[in-house]
Formats: sequence, structure tokens, C-alpha cells
Amino acid sequence: MKLQTHAIVGAVAGAALVTAVSVTVRTEVRAAATRLDNPNATPTAAVADHAEEPYCTPAFKQVLQRVLNACGLVGTESRRGCQPADVKNLASISDEDFNALFLPLSKRGAIILFDEGSEKLDAGAKKLIDERWLDRRGARYFFIVARGSKTGTVDKNRALSHKRANSVLFQVSEVTKDPALEKQVGMLWLGKEFAQLPKQFCEWPTSRENKDCDEQAINRSAFVSWVDCRL
Amino acid sequence: MRNVARTPTIVALVGSVLGLVFAGYSTTDYMQHLDRQLHAIHCSFIPGMPAVSDAENPCRAAMYSAWSAMFRETWWGGVPISLFALGVYAFFAAFALALLVGGLKNSRRAYQFFGVTSLGPLVVSVVMALISAIKLGSFCKTCVGLYVASILLAVGALWALNAVRKLHLLVPTGGWPEGYLETGHPVWIGAWLGAMGLCVLLPSLLYVKSLPDYRSKLASCGKLNEPNDTAKAMVKLSTAHPKRSVTLLVDPLCPTCKALHERLDAEGIVENLDISMLLFPLDNTCNWMIDRALHPGSCVLSRAVLCTDPRSREALEWMYANQDELTRLGKSGEPLLRAKVRDRFGPEVDSCIDSKPTRLRLNNALQYAVSNHVPVSTPQLYLGDLRVCDEDTDLGMRYTFGQLAPEVLR
Repeated sequence: MKLQTHAIVGAVAGAALVTAVSVTVRTEVRAAATRLDNPNATPTAAVADHAEEPYCTPAFKQVLQRVLNACGLVGTESRRGCQPADVKNLASISDEDFNALFLPLSKRGAIILFDEGSEKLDAGAKKLIDERWLDRRGARYFFIVARGSKTGTVDKNRALSHKRANSVLFQVSEVTKDPALEKQVGMLWLGKEFAQLPKQFCEWPTSRENKDCDEQAINRSAFVSWVDCRL
Repeated sequence: MRNVARTPTIVALVGSVLGLVFAGYSTTDYMQHLDRQLHAIHCSFIPGMPAVSDAENPCRAAMYSAWSAMFRETWWGGVPISLFALGVYAFFAAFALALLVGGLKNSRRAYQFFGVTSLGPLVVSVVMALISAIKLGSFCKTCVGLYVASILLAVGALWALNAVRKLHLLVPTGGWPEGYLETGHPVWIGAWLGAMGLCVLLPSLLYVKSLPDYRSKLASCGKLNEPNDTAKAMVKLSTAHPKRSVTLLVDPLCPTCKALHERLDAEGIVENLDISMLLFPLDNTCNWMIDRALHPGSCVLSRAVLCTDPRSREALEWMYANQDELTRLGKSGEPLLRAKVRDRFGPEVDSCIDSKPTRLRLNNALQYAVSNHVPVSTPQLYLGDLRVCDEDTDLGMRYTFGQLAPEVLR
């Protein structure tokens, strides 16, 4: 068995190829290992978050933030809801400006109407609350802004407004059964001293669409809406 | 004396060099991805064409598939089959060159060895082509380049063998001169096989020896902060032997979700998972987190999947199987898509798609994603509450499950 030229050519060529392949493999794998330890900055995917609709203006969000902070939804405070005096102070805006903030919610929200001096929900009210609650989409917070009446004493109206807000909250809790409900619902109960609604709010979706609506009736109410803003 | 094996040996040499080039591209692409990042990959019949970065091409699908590498449970990404091919074609290129230089001074045993062993790459190519056709449903151009290379190699080697055999039967007057077409000592077969083994093993050993330790990288992609599905938004996918809980975020029209499902299936993992599926359609008609529909119609299909519960797996797999058509219908408008769904699942599911509870359940799924601050992308796989990194669901899938949930591989 003698080694001929062609055999040597083959052996040299083979050795050269395998060496080239091996060196390349080692270099490439080591380069990958280096990149692994020092990765390039890559664009990160957006993180899932709540909706942010155009009506979430800085002014709107400022009020929202103050309400949420003061009313127990954000942070560790145990209190639930805000009383009228708090709202007037924390919102730091006029009645008209406060009501105007909610105007973009005319389609998203609804107004639940009550009988005079009563906090009981009728069938139409329950149906409308259910509908609005289930239409959450990307919203984070559900707001209940209850009102008492334009007449009567301040204290009586505050108490009535509070009861109405609770009636809506109880109805929502019946629908959802969610133990984390309290972290989603923001409640305000307003007395007659702040942000009473003008008659044009009768044009909003109400729980008594076929009944007469006037400035008295529209303030015996609770405004409900999901709010599509991030904070 | 004219070298009758010259032309066929050149054909075999060209096949070997082509094999080297295509296996080289394939291996380089594979090695690039060992850094767990996304890179462009070569996917062309023409050597030298630039790499492409599109997410959905057959070469990427082939690279991510369960058939692209061996020993994937032992090493992250395993050892790519193309690396073995690189060694084999290096050997055949050198062998063909030796045959070309030696001509008829080579032994007949050398031509016999060349002819017989050249069938090896051809057999592997046939098997891989069948896998591409049956399992992957597409052909990667680089792989096709390798198939062509193996055909050229086998044709050239067998042609050379046949030419030499015929020539040898024509004994010249006075017999064959010394040193021409000798029988050859059998020990050469062992030597050549040893050389071939060395060509294959040496790069492979260097490859695994150079691999970094990936274990610390496996649990580095976040977790679910609030994993409890209190709103019952998720859907259980029925599997044969559920051993380990996973949460899977998917969009029925997302091609990478389909590819992940197929990989889990091909690895034999899917039947061992206890899958809770969270539908996350990338369609702004129901998903507020995106400003345009990446997959129009996926909200409708996601609700259809919810409506088929507890047969949701069947529905999802039907959607994956018909994804191209459903994507086209989704872009054409909802009525056509609805008609297709109605044909497949009946009027009950069709009416269920519009129902308030179904819409609410899908919305709750999206709210679950918000509560857990998950990335707005699909697919996502969570082992328990631990997110499996994207790169660990393709190249590193088997290694990752081997490390984090070995029971699902058994």
C-alpha cells in the first residue's frame, strides 16, 4: 500500500476544509456567546395596558387622579368613596367645569334616575347598570357619581346621595361577583351644594327614557360610566 | 489513457462544493441565533444572495423545527444537522478532488466507496424532503440547495463508478498497466470511513465545546403577577396526559402561534401540558391595545374559540390548519369569515359569537393581560407563572423543557 500524489492531495484538501470549518464554527459560536452576554438593545414590545381615549385630557386626568387618590381606589387607604365637601375641595374647579369634564362620556356613560327621596333601583335602572358595567372594553375604572336633589337640606341630600351611590355599587357587585370590585369602582356622592346637572343632561341615555325629565329629575340620579384613561 | 471518470467526478465535486456552500449558510445562520436574538437568514437557491429578515419564511420555519438539530435536550439548540452535512461534504469534496487528480490511478475500491457512500447524503435529503413536505408543508430554499447537491454528488459518484466498472471489463492487450484501476486494499475503506467520521465529529465537538451555559437565561423573561383567572376568561385545551400547567397567549390568525403549536406537537410536548389558553387577538375591533388590525377577523375567531369550549382545541387547530384562507377572508370582511365559521361549527356557534357573555369573556381575557402587564405580542408561553422566553420556544424549546419541566418530555 503506497501513498500516491492524489491521496496526498485528497488528505491535504480534506484537512484544510475540516480545519477551516472547525475554526469558523468555533469563532462563530464564541461570537454568539459574547453577544449573549452583551446583547444588542432590541426594541421591546409594548406592555398590555388600559385604553386611553382622546377625552382623557390633562384636566380630566388631574381630577380623576385626585378623586382616585382621595376616594380609596389608589394607595392603601381603606375609605370608600368621597363626600361632597371632599370633592369640592379636591377637584378645585367650578361646578360647570366639573360637569363639563364628563361631557365626552355622553355615549359611554348613562344616568340612573331615582324617585324623589328614594335610593331604590327600578328594573330599567338595573338593566342599564348591567349593560354599562358589561361594556367595559379597555377601561380601568368605573365611576359612580351620585346626586341627591336640588331641594331639601344639605345633610339629607348628602345621605341620600350616598345611599344612591351604594345602590348602584350593590347592583354592580350582584352582576360581577368580583372580589376585586372595590379596586375598580370610584364613587362620588354629591349633595346639592356642588355640580348639580343642568337640564341638557336629560338628553343623555337614562334609565327612564320614556318619562319626563327636568332639572329636578336629572339631579335625583347617579351617573355611571367606565372611564378609558390611564393614570 | 482517457479518464472516463473525469466528467462524473467533476459533477460529484460540484455537488460536494454546493453542499458545502449551502450547509455552510445553514450552519452559520444557526450559529448566529445561539445568542438568542433574531437575525436575518439565508434563504435562496443562489449562493451569495443576502440574508433576509422576514419572520415568516420556510428557512426560518425549518430552522426552528424539531428536525433541524440533534441532541436538543442536552444542549441549547442542539447540534444542527447542517453541521454534520458540512463535515460530510468537506470529506466528499476532498475525496472527489483526489479522484479527479488521480484519475484511473485510483483504485476501483475508491470509486466503489465513493459511489456507495454518496448515497448517504441522498438518503438523508430524501428523508428531510419528506419531512418538509409532510410536517412543515413548505420547502426551505437552502435545504433544496442541499437536496440538489446530494443528487449531483450521488449521480456523479455512481456515474463514475459505472464508467470505471465498464472500462475495467475492457481489458487491454497485455492487461492493465501497473498502477491503473487496481483493486485496492480493503483497509482503505476503514481509513476513509475514519476520515469521514473525523470530518463530521471534529467540527461538532468544537461546536458543543464552545457553547455557552444557557441555564441562567431560561427564567429571565418575566412572570405573571396576578396569575389567577378569577374572571374565568381562559379556555382549557384538552390534552391526553396533562402533567404541567401552562398558560398560552395566542391569536388564531397569528402564524407564529400556529408554528409554536406545531412545534409543541412535533416534540410530543403538547399532550403532556395542562394548557390554559388566553386569547389575545391582535385586532383592534376588540383589542384596544393596538391601533390597527394586524390580523383582521381574529376577534371573531377568538370568540368562536370561546364558543366551542370545551372543544376549543379542535376549533383552534382547525383555524391554524386553515389560517391562510381565514386570514384572506378576514381581510375581505367579517361576513365572509362568519360564513366560513358557520359552515364549520354551525349556527349555534355563529350566534354565540355575538352574545354578550362571549364578548365579555374575551374582554376579560384582554383585561387579564393588562393586569399581568404582559407584552402586546403573540404567542407567549408561561410555565406556571414563569414566562418562557421566545427563543426558548423555538431553537431552545427541548432544552428549556428539559431543564424546567422534564416530565413533559417523557
